[in-house]
Amino acid sequence: MAFDWLDRFQHRLEKEPDYARKSLAAYRLGMKAKGSIVGVMVQPAPECCDAARRLPAGKVYHPDQAPNLPLPDCPQGRHCQCLYRPVMSYQHPD
Amino acid sequence: MLGVLLRIPAFKLFRRLGRPRVLPLNLTLSPSPKCNSRCLTCNIWIKREYELTLEEWRKVLASLGRAPYWFTISGGEPLMYRHVVDLAQSAYEQCRPGVINIPTNAILPSIPETVERIARSCPQSQVIINLSLDGVGEKHDFIRGVPGNFEKLEQCLEQLRAVRRRRKNLTVGIHSVVSVFNVDHLDEIIAYADRSGADQFITEIAEPRVELDTVGLPITPDAESYAKAADRLIRYVQSKRFRGVSRITEALRVEYYKLVKRVLDEQDQVIACYAGWVSAHIYADGTVWPCCVRGDNLGNLRDHNYDFKEIWFGKKIQAVRSSIAAKECHCPLANAAYTSMLHDLATLARVGARLLRRGNGMPG
Repeated sequence: MAFDWLDRFQHRLEKEPDYARKSLAAYRLGMKAKGSIVGVMVQPAPECCDAARRLPAGKVYHPDQAPNLPLPDCPQGRHCQCLYRPVMSYQHPD
Repeated sequence: MLGVLLRIPAFKLFRRLGRPRVLPLNLTLSPSPKCNSRCLTCNIWIKREYELTLEEWRKVLASLGRAPYWFTISGGEPLMYRHVVDLAQSAYEQCRPGVINIPTNAILPSIPETVERIARSCPQSQVIINLSLDGVGEKHDFIRGVPGNFEKLEQCLEQLRAVRRRRKNLTVGIHSVVSVFNVDHLDEIIAYADRSGADQFITEIAEPRVELDTVGLPITPDAESYAKAADRLIRYVQSKRFRGVSRITEALRVEYYKLVKRVLDEQDQVIACYAGWVSAHIYADGTVWPCCVRGDNLGNLRDHNYDFKEIWFGKKIQAVRSSIAAKECHCPLANAAYTSMLHDLATLARVGARLLRRGNGMPG
């Protein structure tokens, strides 16, 4: 995919303290307000913690059910490199 | 414009040596992410921020003095922002920019009146309103996620053309985002833009941006598809005749389309990027970014007494500048690319050569 560097770059950014709350609220609004967002995924970092590794790969969550990032036992805290990604209707046409 | 060109050597030294320290001449202000479009290529509209108040924006703008030449008031949908006229006027009064550029989705019926108020309150600046057009008819509505948007765009364009007759400092343009969703019907968009009566037609490529929460989404056309589209756009520009300053801007436009082709093909920072030296972005909550693609948090103006200089000449930005200079990023962001092209001697030489060609008003 084009601009892979940006994906890696964003994984490395330090998270704001309210990353999970703010991101999931945004995706909740996105689904409610009839855009193309159909859910949210967790994109684990290459060097993620064991808890993140145990998350089901590729699972699409409703924002109300998505796990909070950083995960509770993540040793990296705000330097956790896992990310939420919106899932769009055109990625999952069914 | 001459003042901009005279500052180029200073910016080149600033990027290379860190001195002289200069404030940016190209600033994007995003007063609010709220938007009434639901575009397939953008997720900014889902964000909610603790937005700067108008009074806070005034303090920020006061700290910039007369440095910025080019303001973009972006969004979300900037003409939905309640204080957009006051914000533009404040930028005008405190910074006296040459250009105030505002994109719009053309949905709200109040847009022509709002635009006229902005043009009236900024009489010595060129006010550019670019209407977003991503397809013709229902294709536009599908990509923008709003039924009836295309019809509203046509009404808005007609009304803005009437405003332009009264306000000579107003330019009305059409702006298209070339994405996987429309790259195959670009000819239709070009033909529509050509007969629309707009003053200019510009495009940029759909790209992942931290700002828009589109990182990883499959919205960018592949290099081959975009190359065909860019060639078509270049042929279109070359088929037109322009006068005055438009000759220069359209020659730069051709260079931009060629640059994007190379960025996609080479996946590299093809010319030195000046985001973080010449251009910057202030987000709705007061965070300063070098650009909206990376969205590095350089600091929040609320934590710096609204003094842009504290962030721009501070320590945190230095690591980001080093990263950009080391070509750790590359992108086709139009706003930054046009500024960077002005600082690239090879680009300027090609533009100059085209302008000098006899018997043709346009770059060949």
